[in-house]
Amino acid sequence: MTTIAPGREESVLVRRPGPHELHPVRTHRRRRALELSLAVAVPLALVLWWQLAATQGWIDPRVYPAPSTIFSDGWTRAAAGDLWPDVWATTKRVLGGYAIGTATGYALGLLMGSLSLVRAALEPLLDALYVVPKLALLPVFLNMFGLGEGPQIALVAATVFFFVWISTMSAVLAIPSGHRDAGRVFGATPWQMFRHVLLPASLPAVLVGARIAAGVAVLVIVASEQIAATNGLGHLIFDSRALFENDVMFVGIVCVAVLGVVFSELVRVAGRLLTPWAPRDRGRGQS
Amino acid sequence: MRRRAYGVAVVVAAVLASAGCSSKYADGSGSSGTATAGNRTVEPVTGCGTSSWTDPADLSPTRTPARCKPLTPAPQPLPKTRKVTIATGTLSAEYVAPLEVAVAKGEFKKEGLDVTLKVLPTPDALPLLAKGDIDAMWAAPEAAVMNGVKGGFDIKWVAGNFSPDPESKSGLWVKLKKGEAAADVRMAGRRMGTMIGKGSVIAYPMQKALATHGGGLDKIQYQQLGSADVLTALQNGGVDSAWLLDPVWRKVDDNPQYAFLGGQPQGEPLGGMLYGPSLLNDDVDAGVALLRAYIRTVNTYFADDYKKDPSFVAYLAKLLKTDEAVLKSTPSLTMDWEIRAGTTTRLQAAYKAAGVSKGAALPESRTVNRSLYEEAVGHQP
Repeated sequence: MTTIAPGREESVLVRRPGPHELHPVRTHRRRRALELSLAVAVPLALVLWWQLAATQGWIDPRVYPAPSTIFSDGWTRAAAGDLWPDVWATTKRVLGGYAIGTATGYALGLLMGSLSLVRAALEPLLDALYVVPKLALLPVFLNMFGLGEGPQIALVAATVFFFVWISTMSAVLAIPSGHRDAGRVFGATPWQMFRHVLLPASLPAVLVGARIAAGVAVLVIVASEQIAATNGLGHLIFDSRALFENDVMFVGIVCVAVLGVVFSELVRVAGRLLTPWAPRDRGRGQS
Repeated sequence: MRRRAYGVAVVVAAVLASAGCSSKYADGSGSSGTATAGNRTVEPVTGCGTSSWTDPADLSPTRTPARCKPLTPAPQPLPKTRKVTIATGTLSAEYVAPLEVAVAKGEFKKEGLDVTLKVLPTPDALPLLAKGDIDAMWAAPEAAVMNGVKGGFDIKWVAGNFSPDPESKSGLWVKLKKGEAAADVRMAGRRMGTMIGKGSVIAYPMQKALATHGGGLDKIQYQQLGSADVLTALQNGGVDSAWLLDPVWRKVDDNPQYAFLGGQPQGEPLGGMLYGPSLLNDDVDAGVALLRAYIRTVNTYFADDYKKDPSFVAYLAKLLKTDEAVLKSTPSLTMDWEIRAGTTTRLQAAYKAAGVSKGAALPESRTVNRSLYEEAVGHQP
């Protein structure tokens, strides 16, 4: 706490210790408990309000089914094994496309960040492709890969690629020249330069891009499955909407949300393990 | 802290207690079915004799559709102009032509109706129809509609639209293997491409056509594709059969590599007008007036082969904003405002086979109301 002592010609700044300083452990624990409570209570309150609105008839539960109905339907479908094929189909496509997109995006970002001629040759083209809505490429992928899993995986890969490519290239460009010079002075080979200079310096920024791409990958696959898939969560959502099975549609939406959060968190945790030297990202809602 | 816990407990208790209370949207069975126009007086209509009604039980594919004389039934204007909104999935398809012609020629206006056609897909239109935000839907008793009715929506199919011409080959096409004849084709295990979802009324003719060739919706791989991709997929081998719509089937019609296995049944409309509570219960006069205008339009402009008149085809093409040559390339639809007995039962059986419907089928009394079109043509039950 900071106050100005009154009644003196020269004001003196007095700083009294606050609760952070007096009881650091207890204050931190309380703060964490408050944050956790808010993180749980706000969604819970919204769900309770939704439940109340549906049961009281403030909203039409045939159009907006009550959370209890959605949960019960989701549970029944999961127990009967009807839900898992769709969850697995979407997960497979996301993982496959994500792996390809990340690998190619990282490789090209590294190359373009390191070699200015390659950057000059490819950057305008990739910038132009970056702004094309990826869903608009689906018909092209359908022609290229046919009707199987190919177009879906290619679409996710194309989406993820750009996020990882941009973040990698800018991370490599942002590496201070002194780091590279030090590598050269020590006579580092290209592999050693990559392993001991470029990789550790660029990886934290790359993983930020990869984390954003994880969420966008789920977003894109859901839209794509609506158009050209016979299974998957996107197909489940839009198929049930077309059949006016709103409870099933909401089950699909909840599953997509859970998949997105889990995938994004996995990427974040993987990032923390891979880059222990980077500033610690403590995840959602944690100060 | 304890006070907070009490607060949460009170909210949870309120929610749980309210679960037992009844809602204005409580699950019900909709209206009781045939009561809508039960007490209405039906009077004979000039120009609509015995040919203006056929027995719904007559399922003959060669049945002559009901017809009155042109310009009949005569308009009976409502005392006050009433606004009516009809949702339709498209404004460019040929089966919407009777409605668009009725608007353009002022047939609805003669009845005191101010009709607006609004493009809305069925799943979006359904809750609006049930709430009374729109009055009618020019669509079909799809699986979505059946699910809505099961959920308590008061929606009924009140008039048919068309059945295909005997010469039409819109339907299931297969790419023949070497030395294979159409009669030998076995559909089980094959992949079928279609732009139509399994919950569409087309599931019924699909199931019928597949069943005659050893298949079924539960025995094939169903591949939903965009309209432009269905034919391409059939031609390049992406799928080995496809449901081709008008006029796409013309592109493979003369090619011996392809065979037509079956299409929509003749003499049995699968779609048409669906009413919500506003025209079924609240304003039945307007409901009858709307169908009277539609029926008069069919009798006046679409009574038989309407495409034999080139000037009318040109007019239709302009109205539907479609290519005249495309319109000419397929035979006229047989416009038919009546609903056959058991169609919704057969549709629901197909939805079940397609795996998009569960539970017992709805009885016809909850899905169909023929009394409004019967009143419009003066048919006394």
